[in-house]
Amino acid sequence: MDVNQYLEIFLDETNEHIQSLSDQLMILEQEPDNKDTINEIFRSAHSLKGMAGTMGYKRMQNLTHDMENVFTEVRNGNMKVTSNLIDVLFKALDAIEEYEKTIRETSDEGTNDNEPIIKELNRILDEGLGKAPAEEKPEEKKEEEKKEASGDKPWESIALTEENIGAIKEADEKGMNIYGVSVHIQESCVLKAARAFLVFKAIEDIGEIITTSPTSQDIEDEKFEFDFNMYIATAESYDKVEAAVLSVSEIEKCTGEKVDIASLKEGKEEAKEAESKPAEVTAPAVKEQPKAAAAAPASGAATKQTKPAAGKPVVNRTVRVDIEKLDVLMNLVSELIIAKNSIVSASAGEMNNSSSFNDHISYLESVTTNLHESVMKVRMVPIESVVNRFPKMVRDLSKKLNKKMNLYMTGEDTELDRTVVDELSDPLMHLIRNSADHGLESAELRAERGKPEEGSIFLDAYQDGNNVIIEVRDDGNGIDVEKVRNKAIERGTVTPEQAEQLSEKEVIDMLFQPSFSTAKVVTDVSGRGVGLDVVKSKIESLGGDVSVRTKLGEGSAFSVRLPLTLAIIQALMVVVGDEKYAISLGSIDTIESISKSDVKYVEAKEVITLRENVIPIIRLHGVLNLEENDENKDEMIVVVVKKGDQLAGLVVDELIGQQEIVIKSLGKYINCASRIISGATILGDGEVALILDANVLI
Amino acid sequence: MEDLILGGEVELEKTQFIVIRIGDEQYGIDIKYVDNIVRMQKITRVPDVQHYFEGVINLRGEVVPVMNLRRKAGLPDVEFTKDTRIIIIKLENNAPIGIVVDAVKEVVTLTSAEIEYTTKGIAHSGQVTFINGIGKCNNSLISLLDLNAVISDKEAM
Repeated sequence: MDVNQYLEIFLDETNEHIQSLSDQLMILEQEPDNKDTINEIFRSAHSLKGMAGTMGYKRMQNLTHDMENVFTEVRNGNMKVTSNLIDVLFKALDAIEEYEKTIRETSDEGTNDNEPIIKELNRILDEGLGKAPAEEKPEEKKEEEKKEASGDKPWESIALTEENIGAIKEADEKGMNIYGVSVHIQESCVLKAARAFLVFKAIEDIGEIITTSPTSQDIEDEKFEFDFNMYIATAESYDKVEAAVLSVSEIEKCTGEKVDIASLKEGKEEAKEAESKPAEVTAPAVKEQPKAAAAAPASGAATKQTKPAAGKPVVNRTVRVDIEKLDVLMNLVSELIIAKNSIVSASAGEMNNSSSFNDHISYLESVTTNLHESVMKVRMVPIESVVNRFPKMVRDLSKKLNKKMNLYMTGEDTELDRTVVDELSDPLMHLIRNSADHGLESAELRAERGKPEEGSIFLDAYQDGNNVIIEVRDDGNGIDVEKVRNKAIERGTVTPEQAEQLSEKEVIDMLFQPSFSTAKVVTDVSGRGVGLDVVKSKIESLGGDVSVRTKLGEGSAFSVRLPLTLAIIQALMVVVGDEKYAISLGSIDTIESISKSDVKYVEAKEVITLRENVIPIIRLHGVLNLEENDENKDEMIVVVVKKGDQLAGLVVDELIGQQEIVIKSLGKYINCASRIISGATILGDGEVALILDANVLI
Repeated sequence: MEDLILGGEVELEKTQFIVIRIGDEQYGIDIKYVDNIVRMQKITRVPDVQHYFEGVINLRGEVVPVMNLRRKAGLPDVEFTKDTRIIIIKLENNAPIGIVVDAVKEVVTLTSAEIEYTTKGIAHSGQVTFINGIGKCNNSLISLLDLNAVISDKEAM
């Protein structure tokens, strides 16, 4: 079967299940007796197994199969969840992730069998069940025990579910005969599953199979010895059934007889009783399996129904859309907005227009705005898909660094543009590692400082106007400014005299310079000096910025600010010289008219006082290499922009007004040395205006 | 022109070039890289960029950077005239880029026999050249522009 077309779906769903497993395992570690969680893990492992099997990834299938086995027992209360088990399960999860990665890259699962993990799982399974380590698989035991238990009527060992009994009764009412049948395949047979399949087919020609043991799934996977049993319903006589079964080659023996419906219930109980004695351990497993098999039939497509249910009962109905198609849609909307803008500017030229024309324009305007918003929303995804990996990461870090710590997250449902979210993973990971490694102190030091032994890392995400803020905070040591200062001197970044002059903030900013690490010990986790500078450049390439708040001994907080959208923004259009520029509305605080005489000088820099704040002013003419001729003007127009809690005033010549603009990149040919231009936009009259990045100016 | 050359069994490769004028010299641009030729229009200056960039223009809703080949080649600026054109170049996977030229003259078809490709050795040592060949057509010479060199960051010294 050509499965390549399903590969993408397979990978997506595998990721979903890996995530769900990871989440649930974390919960299980805290609450080892949580039934819902155990069921959820079982379902996820089972779905993974089914999917991997369908796609022909045998190694992945084996591993998930063993995970499933363990959880079958845990679920039935035959085993306790131990921290040892959780560790092995996490290892198994890593291995599955590894498979997923290899498959994504090469569409092959690779050759790593992960034998040690499988062995370990089986060992725990055996130990947990109080058995001497045995190489036999549980299924095999089942068979044996069943044979012992039910003598010459092996089918009676089949544990019938409610549905099975219902089906039997229904068939009986229709006047069908119910037979218990046991089939034995020649031991020389190579393709047992194929033979069994032919038997099923032969029987289905004359009647209906109600249930089988082992399950049809296991039989298909050749997970049975040489016997299998079933209940069938047929209008034909038993001889016909036997003849049909024996018509399949390599079938050694077929035994069976009519089942007495009345005794069925009794028989079932008997069978249960019979099994409960010698095989208390395996009986429930037999009972559970048909159900599980029904939940996830061999086809991978059906596994969709077994989505994680705990905590999130309702799965949003989604359509997977190629991001390129959305880009096309987005571009069309952009063009529509440009077209609308040109109509607006055309109408503005003629003052004596009829009012209905203006009505139509405002109608068009509202339509394009709404359209824009909905397309934007389509592109928005919750940051959940990025941050939900972090709890497990912190758990791993905790083990690796031998520090106790916990991650608390809020606002995982905060939404950002898909393109931003995709790029967010690495920087946030760096920040969390940084907190775990550099931030949190050793247990002794924490005790000394009277802090709880367990360190806390917080990840809070929330929307703030046109921006999304993601803050990674810890209650650790905070940044030792003096240490950073010394380090900078040591590295020759600054002279001791310069270092004295630097403010606390400037010193902290040095942490974001390439290859600047203050960790005394280079660890596996961080301390190689790649990190904060990468975080900074990545976030800035996404149009955002990073800031730090810290208090020595109490902790530090890294705050990442990202624009909600990259494509279309509300902007203020201004005129400088004879050129038009756009400033994002998101970064504008206020617009002021300032008298020239109000400009004061502090350290030879121009400042103004605004509501008791002293803010520096920046003359855009100078920044943009333009001639300034404002001798005959007394009033200056100052656009006050903000970045975090810093303010600055930009001096412009004229205000045009607020406008929705479509951001276009300047491309890679043009290198704006000072990076004050973050892009361009096309105005209604077809002219190109540049977008000023206020964040760089401040 | 014959399709076959004497003694050769290979069909001659024909290439079409757009002939442009900068100052008194004629240059040829391989037509397959030319996306568009537009008249001079309002160019928006971008501050703080490489000096040979005029700025950006709006080409059917796309923002396209425009470079001045004169400046890049170290020639003095001239006033734009009604003959001044912007040639929009699109190299395989790169974004389009505009080049300001004094005038566009014609389109010529040159066979490989009429083109003499220069090797790097011809250029003065250390000097960056934007020419990768000379074409002969109607008794005049056309310098063929090496577009990769033109759009790269290097400048003529």
